[in-house]
Amino acid sequence: QTVTGNFAKVIHGLNANQLTDQVIQRSKRMILDTLGVGLLGTSTEVCHKVAQYSKIYGSDLSSTIWGHLDFRLPPLYAAFVNGVAVHSMDFDDTWHPATHPSGAVLPAVIALSDAFPQKKKVSGLDLLLAFNVGIEVQGRLLHFSREARNIPRRFHPPAVVGTMGSAAACAKLLALDQLECKNALAIAASYAGAPLANAATQIKPLHVGNAAKNGLEAACLALQGLQGNKQILDMESGMGAFYTDYNPQTLPTLQSYPWLLDQQDVAIKRFPAHLATHWVADAASSVRRKLVESSENLLPLDKIEKVILKVPEVKYVNRPSPASEHEARHSFQFVACSALLDGSMSVQSFTSENVHRPALRELLCKTQLEHPPDNTPSFNSLYCEVRVTLWDGSTISDRCTTFYGHWRKPLTKEDLQKKFQSNALSILPAEAVEGIIETVYNLEKVEDCSVLSTFLSGQSARALPEKLH
Amino acid sequence: PEETVTSSFASFIHAARPEHLSQTVRQRSKRMILDSIGVGLVGSTTRVFDIALRYCRLYSSVAVSSVYGKPGVKLSPTLAAFTNGVATHSMDFDDTWHPATHPSGAILPALLAASQMLPPSTKPSGLDFLLAFNVGLEVQGRLMHFSTEAHDIPKRFHPPSVVGTLGSAAATAKLLSLSSAQCCHALGIAASLAGAPMANAATQAKPLHVGNATRLGLEAALLAARGMEANPLILDDIPGCSGFSAFYGIYQPKPLSAPGEHHEFLLEKQDIAFKRFPAHLGMHWVVDAALSVRNLFINYAGSFSPSLIRTIMLKIPVSKYINRPFPSSEHQARHSFQFNACAALLDGEVGLGSFSESSIHRQELRELLDKVVVEHPEDNVANFDKMYGEVALLLHSGDVLTGKCDTFYGHWRKPLSKESLLKKFRSNASHVLSEEKIEAIITLVDNLENLSDSSQL
Repeated sequence: QTVTGNFAKVIHGLNANQLTDQVIQRSKRMILDTLGVGLLGTSTEVCHKVAQYSKIYGSDLSSTIWGHLDFRLPPLYAAFVNGVAVHSMDFDDTWHPATHPSGAVLPAVIALSDAFPQKKKVSGLDLLLAFNVGIEVQGRLLHFSREARNIPRRFHPPAVVGTMGSAAACAKLLALDQLECKNALAIAASYAGAPLANAATQIKPLHVGNAAKNGLEAACLALQGLQGNKQILDMESGMGAFYTDYNPQTLPTLQSYPWLLDQQDVAIKRFPAHLATHWVADAASSVRRKLVESSENLLPLDKIEKVILKVPEVKYVNRPSPASEHEARHSFQFVACSALLDGSMSVQSFTSENVHRPALRELLCKTQLEHPPDNTPSFNSLYCEVRVTLWDGSTISDRCTTFYGHWRKPLTKEDLQKKFQSNALSILPAEAVEGIIETVYNLEKVEDCSVLSTFLSGQSARALPEKLH
Repeated sequence: PEETVTSSFASFIHAARPEHLSQTVRQRSKRMILDSIGVGLVGSTTRVFDIALRYCRLYSSVAVSSVYGKPGVKLSPTLAAFTNGVATHSMDFDDTWHPATHPSGAILPALLAASQMLPPSTKPSGLDFLLAFNVGLEVQGRLMHFSTEAHDIPKRFHPPSVVGTLGSAAATAKLLSLSSAQCCHALGIAASLAGAPMANAATQAKPLHVGNATRLGLEAALLAARGMEANPLILDDIPGCSGFSAFYGIYQPKPLSAPGEHHEFLLEKQDIAFKRFPAHLGMHWVVDAALSVRNLFINYAGSFSPSLIRTIMLKIPVSKYINRPFPSSEHQARHSFQFNACAALLDGEVGLGSFSESSIHRQELRELLDKVVVEHPEDNVANFDKMYGEVALLLHSGDVLTGKCDTFYGHWRKPLSKESLLKKFRSNASHVLSEEKIEAIITLVDNLENLSDSSQL
């Protein structure tokens, strides 16, 4: 049996009964976080550009654009725009092996469910299942190559596995038969892949937007009967094209299916920047607390001789002097200095004023990186140490091996909700925000998940409570 | 500041002018445009085209762009480009270059769609169109010279999906008169939309590679026009963090010289191969060799009698995706040395009809296929500039008849005559257009430089 055929069989055969409690709980957290991050992201410049662009396709208006009541788009472009929103600030979840799993899948399945005709409602459980199929496929594909265990260097993972995950999730939601599932995967492979050099630029969010959109397109084309290579996952010239070492394996049998999300949780970010910077932020905040007695006091800049960061070697996050917000989100140095100055990181840390403030620039000049050989570039094992040396010779340092939000130290339910509320309230009215929280928390029991889309567009919840039960 | 490879490309795209096109380049590119249109027209009769069109019609809002062979149907520009790109590659009948890619299908549909998108006051002239087309070709060719891997028949990524996407972005950027910075970003954005694995070649999904290349390149240019920014060093070598180099194992980028005295378009030195029948380029050598040995056989035996043949030996280069002893679909048949050799032997020619379901599954053909044996001589390299095809008939009587072809008719070393090219176009276009329209297109393309409004095309 081929690996490809096996994947198709599993995508087709998985049903809601097989979702474990832990998987359900973790995936709902991911869904909530992703929605919040996406809502906040609709306010970014990159998102405005793609929304404007996508309006040239706005006729068969059938899916919601998160945060917008004023226009809708065909599902494909809704998935695209919302996917871009999710990754626009690098605020979305990260998994191990490394990718941003939810952003590639959630916008596609929500857009699709939004477009179903009235008589064919999609339940919350259907959505949850499709979402998890999409996540699972991504995780399994990442295990096909040892390269995937480290922070990427060639292709940006969401563009590779994210596209496949989206295709799988949409295939599930559309209830494609086994052959069609296989073709959806094959077609999606021909859309996958984007080079890493576009990370830290404005186009990076499109990697996730396109993954969502193209996976959906692949599933739709498969539904229309289009066929691709039935061994796309098996061949080196198939998915193997994206990796230098590639060892595909079949999935476990459907009986008591062992979901990857059960064994390996995601990391949720506390501020919008590359995941590696979160270790640096925690270490830097802790060093600052040691340096400054009370949080009102300013950091004694003139007493600092140098700042040394011991980090893994990750070229695209090594930026001594970032000039734009996208670059700042991908800079060890920037986050360290920001956290030292302010005590903590937030969405505001990346505004233009803050990126260019003189105090920060001064501290950046004193900052250097070191790459200890034992610090491997893997989100599972890296650490960051911040060492501040004062002119008087004394040094204060701290090391962070697991930041708060990492899968080893997950955010509490309250903190996750706080992040969501903080993000969503900047775009939606309070009722819609609470409506989303309640809907996601009870997703398995929701009969018609289009209520989620209604809230996402900002509509008032008054008429809707009955849909929730 | 030192010029980067990426910025040299952006400057080239921006600064190229019609006067930089030489006679040879104009003439060759017009032939390509005509052939590409014809191939697209006949391609609009295929099943894969049908699926792509049905899918796209779900989204037809600002429907301003035409679709090959479907009068009255209009789609949004990128989807029209997609559909027409799929049509162009649907039968593997479109042109091939060296280093290997299908250059025209990746750029022509985008340019046609874009020209219809522009308001009447700024419609590009035929000369603008021809220039943009050539900019797109040039960029594709130059990119392929960045890697020695590109000289051989591909194994990992399908070239049209890699260089074609950037070529389309460059061509569209030129047509839309984007600034130098915008051209740079168009290339960067396009890189994030490029790349499809080879495994889907010889399947129904392969035409999507060209469809997407042309559509996504157009999209990249449209996004760049609206201010989207990407990595300005996307074509340069960035150790530790791959840009365009992600698609190659070996990568040595070189800057493009400014258009003008020192710059020569690649099309000047290296012409295109046009296919005579709808199958992978490699098949054409084998077919010409088979036809020549068939003639010998008929002289020998009086008629083509398969029962006299014991073994058919094919000497071909090594290339997995075109070595198929028993193809079961039309897509596979177009990518099978064995099938094409046998069809040529049996019928005395290979054409559109050779790949129909009934033709593929004929008993006589299957019997011949059973007799085929394949050899890979070391001197037969998997490279469209150097390969050859040899067909030997080992008869029961002990005699051996051989036919060899190192340059098939249609290859760049032996280009199709103007008559042959027109014959191919007329034959293709007649499947969907009236004779009047066919002649009109021929005239239009022939006089492209003098056309004032290229959207007429």
